[in-house]
Order: sequence, then structure tokens, then C-alpha cells
Amino acid sequence: MHDIIQQLDKKRAQARQGGGPKRIAAQHAKGKLTARERIELLLDEGSFEEWDMFVEHRCSDFGMQDQKIPGDGVVTGCGFINGRLVFVYSQDFTVFGGSLSEAHAQKICKIMDTAMKVGAPVIGINDSGGARIQEGVASLGGYAEVFQRNVTASGVVPQVSIIMGPSAGGAVYSPALTDFIFMVKDSSYMFVTGPEVVKTVTHEEVSAEDLGGAITHTTRSGVADLAFDNDVEALLMIRRFFNYLPANNREKPPMREAGDPADRDDYSLDTLVPDNPNKPYDMKELLVKVVDDGEFFELQPEYAKNIIIGFARMDGHVVGIVANQPLVLAGCLDIKSSIKAARFVRFCDAFSIPVVTFVDVPGFMPGTSQEYGGIIKHGAKLLYAYAECTVPKITVITRKAYGGAYDVMASKHLRGDVNFAWPNAEIAVMGAKGAVEIIFREEKGDPAKLAAREAEYKEKFANPFIAGARGYIDDVIMPHGTRRRVCRALTVLRDKKIEEPWRKHGNIPL
Amino acid sequence: MFKKILIANRGEIACRVIKTARRMGIKTVAVYSEADKDARHVELADEAVLIGPAPSRESYLVQDRIIEACRQTGAEAVHPGYGFLSENAEFSRRVEEAGIVFIGPKHASIGAMGDKIASKALAAKAGVSTIPGWNDAIETPERAVEIAKDIGYPVMIKASAGGGGKGLRVAWNDKEAFEGFSSCRNEARNSFGDDRVFIEKFVEEPRHIEIQVLGDAHGNCVYLWERECSIQRRHQKVIEEAPSPFLDDKVRKAMGEQAVALAKAVDYQSAGTVEFVVGKDKSFFFLEMNTRLQVEHPVTECITGLDLVEQMIRVAAGEKLAFKQKDIKREGWAIECRINAEDPFRNFLPSTGRLVKYRPPAQNMEASQPVPPGGGVRVDTGVYEGGEIPMHYDSMIAKLIVHGRDRNEAIARMREALNGFVIRGISSNVPFQAALLAHPRFTAGDFNTGFIAEQYPKGFSTTSVAHDQPSFLLALAAVSHRRSRERAATLTGQRRHREVRIREDLVVVLTDAAGLRDHIPISVRPQGSMFEVSIAGLTHEVAFEDNLRDIAVHGTFDGQPFCAQIERSGLGYRISHNGASLFARVFSPRHAELEALMPFKAPPDLSKVLLSPMPGLLVDVAVQVGQTVRAGEKLAAIEAMKMENILFATQDCVVSEVLAGKGDSLAVDQVIMRFQ
Repeated sequence: MHDIIQQLDKKRAQARQGGGPKRIAAQHAKGKLTARERIELLLDEGSFEEWDMFVEHRCSDFGMQDQKIPGDGVVTGCGFINGRLVFVYSQDFTVFGGSLSEAHAQKICKIMDTAMKVGAPVIGINDSGGARIQEGVASLGGYAEVFQRNVTASGVVPQVSIIMGPSAGGAVYSPALTDFIFMVKDSSYMFVTGPEVVKTVTHEEVSAEDLGGAITHTTRSGVADLAFDNDVEALLMIRRFFNYLPANNREKPPMREAGDPADRDDYSLDTLVPDNPNKPYDMKELLVKVVDDGEFFELQPEYAKNIIIGFARMDGHVVGIVANQPLVLAGCLDIKSSIKAARFVRFCDAFSIPVVTFVDVPGFMPGTSQEYGGIIKHGAKLLYAYAECTVPKITVITRKAYGGAYDVMASKHLRGDVNFAWPNAEIAVMGAKGAVEIIFREEKGDPAKLAAREAEYKEKFANPFIAGARGYIDDVIMPHGTRRRVCRALTVLRDKKIEEPWRKHGNIPL
Repeated sequence: MFKKILIANRGEIACRVIKTARRMGIKTVAVYSEADKDARHVELADEAVLIGPAPSRESYLVQDRIIEACRQTGAEAVHPGYGFLSENAEFSRRVEEAGIVFIGPKHASIGAMGDKIASKALAAKAGVSTIPGWNDAIETPERAVEIAKDIGYPVMIKASAGGGGKGLRVAWNDKEAFEGFSSCRNEARNSFGDDRVFIEKFVEEPRHIEIQVLGDAHGNCVYLWERECSIQRRHQKVIEEAPSPFLDDKVRKAMGEQAVALAKAVDYQSAGTVEFVVGKDKSFFFLEMNTRLQVEHPVTECITGLDLVEQMIRVAAGEKLAFKQKDIKREGWAIECRINAEDPFRNFLPSTGRLVKYRPPAQNMEASQPVPPGGGVRVDTGVYEGGEIPMHYDSMIAKLIVHGRDRNEAIARMREALNGFVIRGISSNVPFQAALLAHPRFTAGDFNTGFIAEQYPKGFSTTSVAHDQPSFLLALAAVSHRRSRERAATLTGQRRHREVRIREDLVVVLTDAAGLRDHIPISVRPQGSMFEVSIAGLTHEVAFEDNLRDIAVHGTFDGQPFCAQIERSGLGYRISHNGASLFARVFSPRHAELEALMPFKAPPDLSKVLLSPMPGLLVDVAVQVGQTVRAGEKLAAIEAMKMENILFATQDCVVSEVLAGKGDSLAVDQVIMRFQ
């Protein structure tokens, strides 16, 4: 018995060492932490339960039989973030470059399977050179096993990926299938084919950072949700992010006491929207002023900035916020912003998070690049997402709600539960000028007459009353009372249920 | 008494005049430009009249519009405030001719004091101590040198029509006198269209001290003590106080009596100010007379208990002063800080835009109301949270006034008030004011008009101020962290036995500009409603009152009440107090250890781009793509708040890209051009 215990201690010590002090020093020199250090930061102190510490690979080719390190390049298990259960895997770059072997993949699959059984989120920390080439197809099979579980778990438990090193080739697809991707600047990158291959095939010269770094994916591709400065910032901020996620699709997201009164008025909002309808304003000021404690956890802040998405709390309850941003492209909907918001709305819907939408949208972005890019299908994604969404939906129109974009942005017609408008809201097919130019085409030569028509149209439609008369909006509210009214609506809608007809799944226009 | 008056001004002073008028039962009429239609003075007044577009020369300076507005509304009198038309003799005359009372001195008095050379001669005749100098316009630089020699160096060369620091030179020798005269005359000709220049003795370590006078139409005139206005930045007053920490009763009386003599000499019938320069030997010389209500009049109101606006209105209505010189009180000490929309960290460039947050400190004094016993805090302002600071007018957004039993109490009160003054969305000089109030030479009363230029020769930065108790700032960071952990502990869905455990031992990490970290171990233990915070072997008791969303936080530190500003940003807290500011991140000891392994990432190199330092209108781009530019050459010009701000190259460079064009509206930090 004593021998066994000694052997156990030895194995544990070996596993904890990972690739050894030299490799750990090299990892630190790159500004990266080790797999275990990362888990320490992510989870509550001392809460990590490690599983499969003794798993080793089964490869016997290319001399691999002589190189076995317990754990096989990934640390897996479960733990707690602010007392709430989570399953975690963290790839260890110091062991075989974090490469994915069959055994490595099995470890990941095991915690995912358990997470599904108990209904807890999964967070994956990715830092891997890719497939374990020595294992060949067994490694590829391992990836696909993980992919399948990602898909099966999608919409059942929240899945979060943190990219803290390389993630290339097939490895990118597990994160891509999860709900959120976070990256670290300068030390992480994701691409399907690396700079070498790119150079050979397309003759483009591009660095790994430019091709798939955190900045690229949070500003250009929209693949990642946030870029952090370093590992510590990333992991501690993701702890905060985790507070917004429910454990699974049958539970509500966690509540937290708010020191911020739900009936707090903010009179400065009454002057937020400028008189001149063409003058922009910062929608984020509204968001920060209506949510609890002014805390808005924004996602994808540097990508498709014409729409804002993120989590916040109102009266202690988690809400997902979608808002047009008049500061960028006048808040128009385009391909990128439609996709960005659609995916976010679907996440909220899947995980019982009410969606609060703030609307100031002059319409869809015109142009050949949009049409050739398929704005029809991509815009339809957002429409589809809002229409299928059955969680409480509260909408506040702060200024413009024009044309098809009005319909899309959580309108009454898409089963909006409570739709508010500020008194200066303009709900119409289009702006007054464009409208009269079409309706009164024959008066085109007479600017005076046209101006009069424009004024008439404005008077008729540049207000929320026409829509109000038809019940398309439930109430006209003063900007200063927005928090109070939204909180109240959330209270009313808390136990909302909608029965949907049976179907296998819908067919969102992908 | 009048039934209705019109206030020909905007901003805080219009609001302030309205308050007194309302208390006196007089109806008020505001005038406003298109940029001010939502301004506070418009809302406060009983009636408001639109007088033109945003630029003041098309609105607030158009005499016809204002006289017309009086006619239209039936206002019997006009209060001009300060600035705009307040010292315009022609306006005063025209108002009178229109049968409307001008609430201010007669136009002859304004005219007599309007010209610097003429007013000086008048003062000398009235027996007022004037500075040795040549009071006639000087023709040639050679003659200027002769005169300078006669007076004795150092001398000051001044344009007759100059003001606000323009057209002013100091010469310490013949060569400087010769050159100074020429350049001063050119500047005067270009700026004011009046090239008369005169020379006078330059007073060493000069203080700017002014006497408030008040005269009526019945030959009575009194002085309401002095105001010390030596804390100036580029000849703009920054802090004013009453009384002056420098004067003794003898000098005070002599200055007061001379000021009254001058006022009587010009038959002065209103509130006015006689400005003196006072040397280090307490010799004082007449500078000029301001024939209007001064910005800094509230400090006089605090110590005398008089409402100067009320006195002006009563005098204008023909009433006699209700008191004699011997009745004038001088109680306690008052200080005023001008709160400006400007960025002290960017060389005080003006800042315009939306006031996203505007939370003045708690007030218990108000303009037009009696001063409470023991003093208090008063904020005179024309802005509100959510309001706009337009680019067309001056940058002052509020005046923060405190009154205490003595100077130390007033200073303490001002420091606390500044700590509680929250302004966001635009930049303000609150941190700079707090730094001045914390300066040992200010608190000692040991300063002159060169104070700011001497003490902050390279401008102002966050590192300009060291906190006298650094552990206080650290403790606030640690307690803020503790409070956010306590909030996390209320999350639902926690598993039994795995609930949030809050650590008591923490490490506060400070990172300097070069990335060097300082780790300070701190422990925070709850103790009833307080926290016991231990830093470096010392234990402090800290209590907070406000919730996590408030920027201004009130509490006690070792039993002493404090107000500080705390903002959470990422993993850290920015703590500001008494002009000092600190960004601190708080970790558990193990997390701090891991954080120390993280590489330091220097902020991006901004030397390759030209950023707009403020929101404004790009009025000129002086370079083209491909052009080689030498350090110091003009790159672009931005107009904001009436000011044209020229952006210069800080180093030799080649322009690679110009991203903004003439006429563009720029946001702060917007890239204007890039360099190779």
C-alpha cells in the first residue's frame, strides 16, 4: 500500500510538472501562463477537481512510446466560479505542444459528457499546436468527437472558448462551434491555414498576428468576442462574464442583488437624442445609464460597431442588450451587424435571457457590396432570430425605426412583448424626404411644394402616435423613465411561456 | 422697483441674476442664441427671447436685438452680466436713450474707465496710487527705450487696448525694451486695431488684488473690501478669495479709500471693481477699473452678506444705499474656484460636447440667499447633466464657492467640495483646482500672479500631485474590491459548501508608465459596518456610504469624513482625491504573483499620428501627403470655443496620409493624419 501511495504521489508530481521547468519557463517567457496557472485564475481558489490526471497517450509510433507524460497535454476537471459549477479543460502547451491526441480528446469529451449530464457550462482554454501528427487519423477522430459534443451541447449548456495560444487548422472548429470566443492580444491566433500555406497558395505575405491574431478576429472577422491584454486580465474578466450565464437551458441566469433602485430616473436622458435627426449620439450612454450599477459587459465592441450587443443586469436579473449605434454608419443594419446581433439574440433565446432592444435604425445599408454580399439572407438571420425568440422581448424605440429595419428590430409584429417608444420616435417606412419624393413624384420640379409635403409627412409620421394607434407600440415613455419601465416590464414577463409547434428544427437562412 | 428686467447674458451669470430678481419679486426675461435654446437660463427665466444664431457677434453682442427684446417683452431694465455688452458705453447709452434702465454704471463712467491710458490719468488725478510709467502713447522704439530707462528696469510694455494677456511684454534691459515695444505694437495693431502702447514699472512678485466698490445715484459710495485674484493662468483668473491673505488693515483701508475716491471721480453708480497690482513690499498701484459685476463677486457676497446683484438693481432703480462704510461686515473667509471645460492634462485645451455626468457637490448656500452661519458651499452654474457645452462661448461651466470661518476652514471645505464634483463627458479643470488647493504654497498664502507658470512650467499631469496619505488611496482601492466581492457573494445558484469566500489578504498592484509594478499587501476585514484595513503595519478604519455605481463616494477614514471619486475600469480602480489620482488593481496574493509574470505592453506609439486633442471644427490642414515637415511647423488648426488651436509637428516627419479635411467636425482623439 505504501508503495502504491508513493507511486501515486510521484505520478501526481509528474503530472503537475507538465512539460518540466524548462518548458514552463519558455511558456512564461512568451508572456503566457501554464495550463494549471490559468485554471487557478479562472476558478474559485482551491475549487478545482482534476480528473484523468493519469491518462497517457497510446501511440507507439515515431518513438512516442518512450515519451509519456501523465495528463497528455490537457488538464481537465470541474470547479466553481463564484460558487457556481463549471467544467473546464485547459490545454498544456508545455506537454507535446498541447497537441491533441486521441487520449487528450477523450479527456475533453469526458468532462463535456458529464457537463451535459449535470447541466453545467464548459469553458475550454485552448493552447495547442494542433493535431498530434504522430497519431494520424486517431487525432483527427479525436477532434471530430469533440466537435460532435460541441454541437450536441449547443443550446443545452453554455460553452465558452478562451484562445491563449495557437489554434490552427481543424482545431479552430471546436471554438467556432461554442457560444463565445475570447482571445489574448499578441499571444493567441486562430486560422484554418497558417501564413506558410497562405504564402504558398495565394502568394500573400501575412504574419500570424495579422492573419489570425486577437485584433484581427475582434475587428475584421468578428470570429472572437473580446481581445484581452494578457492571460490574467482575460481569465479574471471571464469570471465576471460567467456571472451572466445560466447553468443550462432549463435554469434561469443567476440573480444578483442590485444596490441600484429599479425605479431610478435619469433626467439627463431627456436630452440624449439631438433635435436634428441627422445628428448622431452615443447609444452606449443610454445603456450605461439604464442598467444596474452602470455595468454593461459588451461583446464584440470593435466589430460591426453600428450595432451594440452585450449583457447587463436590470433589477438584479440578467438581460441581453441589442442596440443600434447611431454614431457608426448612422446605426444602419448591414451584413456584419445583422449576423453579430442574430447570433447574440439566439444565444439569449436558448438560455432564457430576456432581450432588451434599443432601436434607432434608419434602415438597411444600401450598396452593391451589401447586395452582392447577400444582405438579403444575412439580414434575414436577424429577422429570423428575433421572430423565433420566445424569451421576454422588450423594445425601446429612441428615435428612428424606418422601413424593413423597423420590422426586424424586435417589433411588435415579431412577438415583441412590450414595445415602448420615446416621444420623439419616428416610426415610418422611410425618412420624410425620401417618402415625399416617391409619393409626390409629379411635384418633383417644385421644391416649395415638396417642402410643404415633407413637413406634412413629418408631422404625420415623425412621431410615435400612428404606430401607437395601431397598438404597434404599447406606450410612449419619457426617456428619463426608461429604466423604471423596462424593469417593470421584465417583472411582468418573468414567467413568460410560449408553446411552439413541433418541428425538428427551423431552417434559419444560413 | 422694476416689475420686469431683461438679462443680456447667458450661462451661470444669467441664472444668478435671475435668482436675485425672482427673490425681489421682479419678473425676468432671458435672451438666447440658437445654441442655447435648451440652456438653463432660458428655462429659469419667466420669458425668453431668441436673439440670433450661435456666434455671439450675431446674438449676444447685437445691441439692436437686445433693445428690441426689451421693447417686445416690456422689460424696464437690462442687466448685462459680465463680458458681452457689459462694459460697452455705447450700449449703455443706447439702452438709456431707449428709455430702458441699464443696471450698471452710467455710460460716461464706463467710457471714462474703458481706455487704459485715460483711466490711469483720471486715477492719478483722483489721488489713486498709479504705477510709475509713461501714460502717453509712445511713437518709436528708441523713445520706448529712453522711457524705460527713466522708469528703471524691469518695465512692462502694454497695449492700450490689450487684455487677457494679449499685447503684453516684460523687458529687463534696453534690447528687450526695443524689441518688446515693436512686437507689442504690431500685435496691438493686428489684434485690436489700436496700436497705442505704453510702458510702466514692472512690479516684482506682483499680486492681483481688487477692491469692490458700490455707489448710488445720491453720491454715496462704499468699498466692500478686497478680493485676492493672484492665482491666474495666462492672465485668466483661476482661484479668487476674500479677504486677501496678504493685506493688513492699513493697506486694505488705503486701497479701499482710493478705490472709492476713483469711483466718486467718475460718478460711479453701481457695483464696480478697482484692480490693483500689489508688490511684495505691499506697495500697490492702480491697474484698471472694471465697470461691471465681476465673475468672482460671490466671494465678496460671502464675507459681507450682501447680494451684489440686488444692490445693483436697487441702485439702478434709484434707491439709496441702505448702509454706510462702517456698516460693512467682513466675516470669515471665502474662496471661489472657476470650473472650466478644459483639459488640464492636455495643456488646458478647451473641451466641448455633452455633459454625460454633471454632479456638483452638496450645496447649502445659494446666490441671492443669506449666507448660513458657519459658511458653506455654493455652486453658481448655467449647466445641467445631459446639457451641451457649446463651442461658441467661454469655457467656464461653474463657479464653486465656499465660505468658512477662517482661511483654513475655507480651504478644507473647498478641497472636499472639489473631491465631490463629478464632471464626465467633457474634460474639466477640477483635478487641477484640487491640485492647487493641495499646494503648500497656496495653503500658506504665499503666491503671486506667476504662481501657476512657476509651479507647473511643463503643464499639469497626474503625477504632478502626490497625495499626503498614499495609504488612503490604496485603502479605498482595496475596500472597493472587497465591496465588489461582497456583491458577487449575493449571486444565486451557488453550490452549498462552495459559496463565494471573500479573502481578507489582498495585494494592491500599481504599475508605472514604464511597466514597473509595485505590490502592496493589504488586508481588509469587515468590522461591523466598517472595514479594518491594514497597510504596512498600520490599521485604518474605513466606511463607505454610497453604492457601487456612484463615482463620488462619501465615507469616513479613521473617523474623518472624506469624499473621493472611484471608477472601476477593467480589473482596476481609478481613485481620485485632493488632486491626486491613482490607478490600482487589486488581486489575491497568488493572482498578484501570476500577474507579475505578464509582459508589460506599452501604450501605442502616438508619434506617428496626429490626433485631434479636442472636439472641434477642422479649419485648416496646412500640409499635404508626402510633404516633409520640420518639428514646430503648423500641421492643422482646429476651432473650438471661439479659439483657434494650432497643432504643430512635435518632430521632423513626412506626412503619409491625411484622414480629415477642412470643415470636418472632429471628435477627440480622432486621427487627422499619419506620418511615415
